[in-house]
Amino acid sequence: MESGAASDRDRANLQHWRDSHPSHEHAWQKAQLLRQRFAELPSTLAMASLDRPQASRRKVLKRAVGAVALVPAAWLISRQLPVDVWRADLRTATGEGKTVQLADGSSLQLNTASAVDIDMQNRRLTLVEGEIALNVPGISPLTVQTHFGQVVVSQGQVCVRQRQTGCRVSVLKGAVQLQPLRGPVFSLRAGQQVSLLVAGAGAVEPFDVLAPGWRDGVLMAQNQPLGDFLRELSSYRPGVLRWEPALESLRVTGSFRLEDTDRILSLLAASLPLEVHRRTRYWVTLVPRKNIA
Amino acid sequence: MGNGSDAADLSQDTFLRVLASSQRIADLQEPRAYLATVGKRLLANFYKRRSLEQAYLDALMLLPEESVPSPEQRWLLLEALQALDELLDGLPVAVRRAFLWSQLEGLGYAEIAERLQVSERTIKRYMAQAYEHCLLVEW
Repeated sequence: MESGAASDRDRANLQHWRDSHPSHEHAWQKAQLLRQRFAELPSTLAMASLDRPQASRRKVLKRAVGAVALVPAAWLISRQLPVDVWRADLRTATGEGKTVQLADGSSLQLNTASAVDIDMQNRRLTLVEGEIALNVPGISPLTVQTHFGQVVVSQGQVCVRQRQTGCRVSVLKGAVQLQPLRGPVFSLRAGQQVSLLVAGAGAVEPFDVLAPGWRDGVLMAQNQPLGDFLRELSSYRPGVLRWEPALESLRVTGSFRLEDTDRILSLLAASLPLEVHRRTRYWVTLVPRKNIA
Repeated sequence: MGNGSDAADLSQDTFLRVLASSQRIADLQEPRAYLATVGKRLLANFYKRRSLEQAYLDALMLLPEESVPSPEQRWLLLEALQALDELLDGLPVAVRRAFLWSQLEGLGYAEIAERLQVSERTIKRYMAQAYEHCLLVEW
């Protein structure tokens, strides 16, 4: 039928075959279903993805022994695919964390879905996307370049978290110097944090340096609106996490291990009036729990 | 392996497969060898899945910006591709290509035969083989 050369006689034969036994009809229907599944795909994308050399089993296993690091798909699929992020020196996938030691003894920790460019010659890190924690022992200052200004760390430990609207700098140890896009250079000490915005620096606020956080693999909430909590959680989950607006203002309190985000969702369902609908591996929706009277 | 969460995924998979399999561990002569075999099979699946993701990403990167589907669509599409990839698994390369050209690009047998430098009759055979292979799987 698909050959491009089917005749009327062929069609008649087909009908006869279909009618002759229920299993024939069943097979035909299944074949149509299969064809439909293919027809629903954007052909160029599908062709490029499916039509690739199939490595033999042995070759695949050989390769596995000295594993080549492929770009983590989970990270890229949710993003806007900007080239500078793709090409960054150091990247983490969605839900992945990474710690590296830099040549001067500094240590750099990346949070989920983050990307950093490293230029040790000029003592400069560029935070392309996401969140880092940087610990500088004090031999020579390191500058963190962000879209919203610079952070110079001479000796100390700092967290820098970049989002679309601004960049939050939190000092864990020592002191740092900040240069916002507008306004004067200023210093920040341990226990202080500030947001760098397009318009300049926001107000300096205190924060608890001892509170566990992403660097310890924990997500903490203290009477936090569920909407905010879920927005944060979704940055650690590959796929799409959706929830009904009615759930936005429920409150969450707790300390959750980030290594198992599915478990976090189950915990939420156990303690709050909501249900977790897992449509597919990558598509989860939270809805208010229906009360059965 | 370069990605902590993938490694966790894999070993959990291995564990679950072993649980699900009907052979009791105690009955096996060499329980560790059994685990290594299951692990290897899963590792092969894992790398197959990775190669699909990689091919998919490469293709996405080449799309002009206006054509790039939304994040939700990208995920759904990946899942659809994974399912089909699994379905096609095991078909010889030429058969797979012939089938994909027919299904995704709507090519007729004459043109596929031309591309693969074989007879139309061979293409007919390939198509029958592909259909049989896919339809025999439970889905």
